[in-house]
Amino acid sequence: MIEMHDVWKVYPNGIEALRGVNITIDTGEFVYVVGPSGAGKSSFIKLMYREEKPTSGVVLINGVNVKRVRDWKIPHLRRKIGVVFQDYKLLPHMSAYDNVAFALEAVEVPTKQIQPRVEEALELVGLSDRMKALPSQLSGGEQQRVSIARAIVNNPGFIIADEPTGNLDPENSWDIMYLLEEINMRGTTVVMATHNKEIVNTMRQRVIAIEQGIVVRDEIGGEYGYED
Amino acid sequence: MKIDTIRRHFREAYRGIVKNSWMSFAAVGAVAVTLMIFGVFVIFAVNLGSITDEVGDNVSMNVVLKDEVTKEQATALTTKIKGLPNVNDARFISKDEGVDEVKKNLKDADFTRVLQKGENNFLPNLIKVTPKNVSVSKGVEQAVKGLEGIESVKNSNTAKELLDSVLLFKNIILVFGVGLAVLAAFLISNTIKLTIIARRREIEVQRLVGASNWFIRWPFFIEGGFIGFVGSVLPIGVLLLVYQGFVKMISGGSQNTNLLQMVGFADMAMYLTVSILGIGIFIGVFGSVLSIRRFLKI
Ligand SMILES: Nc1ncnc2c1ncn2[C@@H]1O[C@H](COP(=O)(O)OP(=O)(O)O)[C@@H](O)[C@H]1O
Ligand SMILES: [Mg+2]
Repeated sequence: MIEMHDVWKVYPNGIEALRGVNITIDTGEFVYVVGPSGAGKSSFIKLMYREEKPTSGVVLINGVNVKRVRDWKIPHLRRKIGVVFQDYKLLPHMSAYDNVAFALEAVEVPTKQIQPRVEEALELVGLSDRMKALPSQLSGGEQQRVSIARAIVNNPGFIIADEPTGNLDPENSWDIMYLLEEINMRGTTVVMATHNKEIVNTMRQRVIAIEQGIVVRDEIGGEYGYED
Repeated sequence: MKIDTIRRHFREAYRGIVKNSWMSFAAVGAVAVTLMIFGVFVIFAVNLGSITDEVGDNVSMNVVLKDEVTKEQATALTTKIKGLPNVNDARFISKDEGVDEVKKNLKDADFTRVLQKGENNFLPNLIKVTPKNVSVSKGVEQAVKGLEGIESVKNSNTAKELLDSVLLFKNIILVFGVGLAVLAAFLISNTIKLTIIARRREIEVQRLVGASNWFIRWPFFIEGGFIGFVGSVLPIGVLLLVYQGFVKMISGGSQNTNLLQMVGFADMAMYLTVSILGIGIFIGVFGSVLSIRRFLKI
């Protein structure tokens, strides 16, 4: 569960990216975060995986106040959360397999367990036959699927995605959507910031709209609501 | 830490070194030069103890008595000198005893042949005076010169000069060595910085998936420590060889001027290996710490 109580995010340059956000996301939910660019969507997401601390207010992840978490315990918080970005953040010199294995190695998973888990994750995203390919040999959609495999391989309770389809054509975007939906069906909470009107309006999930740092709309089965 | 993880950290450290091989090479070189100089310093510092002991013995001065001084007067004079402040010992050495002493110390056949006891003995009567230590010997010399029946005082100044120059040398090496150690640490931190920059994407992903801070740092510590380690091996080897040569040369040379009683090879080998390895690895890890604190934002 993710909770925000009267959360403000003010950057050192004085910009108020979030202004008094109150939100609760239950375990197993699928949530779209929409809004014009500069509205504060990425800031909202960054607070969840503790990339940024709230300036005031409280962010709770499964009841844990992220602001109070000691620096050395942050890694353990992050293991509960898989993060996916618009630009994939894959390591260019490593194969799809190695990119996913890298995430398990980083959290000191025993070597014996690495191979079966990486293969399982890549199979889930439909890349069993492209394991040895370098990112440069994969399409954008495939690269994003590798990055999703990396995000889920450690079995986190949450997947947080910041415009994961932002660089993809409609067809690949839909593939990624179906994949995230499937991951959500398996019990993982998914929070996704997006500009993709078609997807939001078709999937009919919970929609949180942010404008100028304020939650202006929060409805189950909502629509995108912007003309862009 | 799991054995898999340890193996991985070493592999990553190795990868970092190979990737920046020229920079690593320069850093290893800087460490090697630093430790070479440090090693010379260690050799001096360890030997200095025994050198000063030797110098302490050689600081004694020979007080040459005038010819007309009788044996009784000489004995009285000896007692008097013994009573002076800062004098450890004073011993009367007659002409004839002098011949024995010279013959004992000197093996030069031509010279000892012309040296005989009795009528033809051209050596003077003298009193051998040992001051408490090197620093007071000048004062003792002045005091003795003021007494009656003294022809001259032959002070072995060379000992004190040697001691002074050894101390000066030691200080120069120390300052030089510290400067070089800083330079070496800086070079290492620079190599580590390059590795950190080359790995910034990997580090970003590691942070993202929840790698612990230590997991991220370890390879850089190992890389620095390893550069320090490799930089230690060469100076240890060279210094031990040179020292062994020295020990052989000095113990095999002339016996009488045994001013440098050098510390044995086995002891020195231990001092050098332990101190150079320790300092080398310390410089390496210190260099890593500098870079990790500045460039590794976790
Ligand atoms: N690190 C930062 N430092 C300063 N200002 C920032 C930073 N990140 C974002 N902002 C500002 O905060 C506001 C919200 O940005 P962001 O959360 O990225 O919005 P969105 O993802 O909806 O486009 C913008 O005005 C942006 O310029
Ligand atoms: Mg954004």
